[in-house]
Amino acid sequence: MLSKSKPQDIQALDNNRNIIRSKTGGWRVGEGVYSHGYSMLEELVGEKSYFQIMILNATGKLVERRLADWVEAIYGCLSWPDPRIWCNQIGALAGEAKTTAVAGTLAGTLAADSKMYGMYTLLAGMDFIQSAYKKSLDKTTVAEIVDQNIKENKGRLKIMGYVRPIAKGDERIEVMERVTKKLGFDIGPHLKLAYEIEQIINSRLQENMNINGYISAFLSDQGFTKDEVYQLLSTWVMSGVTACYLETLHKPNDSFLPLRCDDIEYKGADKRSID
Amino acid sequence: MSEYTREKAQSRNHAFSKKTTTRIWKETPCDDNPYITESVLCHGYDLYELMNKCSFSDMFYLLFRGELPKPNDSKLLETLMIALINPGPRHPATRAAMNAGVGKTMPVHILPIAMSVMGGDYLGGGEIEPAMHFLRKQQKNDPITVANTLLNDYNNGDSIAPGFGKRFGGIDVMSQHIIEQLLLLEGSKPILEWAEQFAKALQSNGIGWLTTGVAAAVFCDLGFQPKSGGVLFQLLSAPGLAAHGLELGYERITAMPYISDEDYVIEK
Repeated sequence: MLSKSKPQDIQALDNNRNIIRSKTGGWRVGEGVYSHGYSMLEELVGEKSYFQIMILNATGKLVERRLADWVEAIYGCLSWPDPRIWCNQIGALAGEAKTTAVAGTLAGTLAADSKMYGMYTLLAGMDFIQSAYKKSLDKTTVAEIVDQNIKENKGRLKIMGYVRPIAKGDERIEVMERVTKKLGFDIGPHLKLAYEIEQIINSRLQENMNINGYISAFLSDQGFTKDEVYQLLSTWVMSGVTACYLETLHKPNDSFLPLRCDDIEYKGADKRSID
Repeated sequence: MSEYTREKAQSRNHAFSKKTTTRIWKETPCDDNPYITESVLCHGYDLYELMNKCSFSDMFYLLFRGELPKPNDSKLLETLMIALINPGPRHPATRAAMNAGVGKTMPVHILPIAMSVMGGDYLGGGEIEPAMHFLRKQQKNDPITVANTLLNDYNNGDSIAPGFGKRFGGIDVMSQHIIEQLLLLEGSKPILEWAEQFAKALQSNGIGWLTTGVAAAVFCDLGFQPKSGGVLFQLLSAPGLAAHGLELGYERITAMPYISDEDYVIEK
């Protein structure tokens, strides 16, 4: 059988065999290491903060120090050592199973790539605030933006960045508001809109913005796209997972929430035989 | 900073379940220790009986579908499992496994590393769920008409529909041969048959089945849910990924190519 490929397509593939063309950078042995046009060992390491370098690698943008410090603070907001949180519990279970620290930490981090919490939700959070902002420029009122969302979701408010599972209200916003102020950032148009939306939601449903909403609005004001935000926060929960891993690693086997057989309720088929 | 005073966070006091429930597995404890399992039921069948009377693929089907497969379904699944057991040493996930192996990564990490890559949207588990939705939705329509409609909008990219497209610029011949083998099996395979007509209508354009489409079509015919599809695909490919990774683990670091500085071009 023939694949019906065109010779020029095969030629295009051949052009990339055994060669890497990188727009990002790389290591030239004996010469230097480059990231997005910067010499890492001369211009970045020791000169810029780790978070500046991390954001550069994640987005291609070398941001000012205070913005990197702001992102660092946000990482602190999701580094809670509480093993009841889903991703952290995976870290704790990895410790219980005596995996390596890297395996436990990465397993838990991967879990936060979730549609309910953690990193993946930032894509929806960014989508919402950026499209809401565009609508507001087109003279759609804040109330109309909220009403539209309720209508689209069959009578329920479903805006990523508002309302929060487990708890009502988000204590991290106040902390980040202090960080924002301390670092000298103004409230930009996305964040202003986010607050206005919060006011409407609060007055109608007594619900609030959550940390996703705050980050999405603030980082939109800093000119980031949704993909850039997702990329620069891709290891957001990592440190909390490590902490929970360590908690159980050093405890005796089978001591983290041990389950009796009947602690799992079976609701399947009754006992039967193979015909 | 915000225009009203923020209240303290309060627990929502959700009514969480007291126990986790499962329809899959029942563990009965031994008489003197409620933590130690004496026997197990899988969807009602005793594990010891399953060990003696079932094939691995039957057990696999039971685990995910809740019933033992009929003989034709059992054969279809087992044949697919053999077909997809190894994506081959050029697939990105296998290459990831091999990089881990040759880099002396701990062997127990090889599979999680390769599985993550195998979850991608291109040639990976991420493509299965959309492919299953596509097939389940379109199978009510004439496959030739669907193919022609999609061809009208096709912009010569890799994928024309989830699970169908070009590989390396042409038809993935191997996937086509696998389909031909699967179609020889006895039993009803309506989605596989529909999709084969669909793929045939694409072929003159150098487009055809991808392995993800093959898996998606069979999973549909076996009654698996689209949401399960990506994970099942990862599972089916796991042995090949692990084998390649482990193989390189015994080799020197020089056993795989390392692009020279001359062939590493940093573009401005």
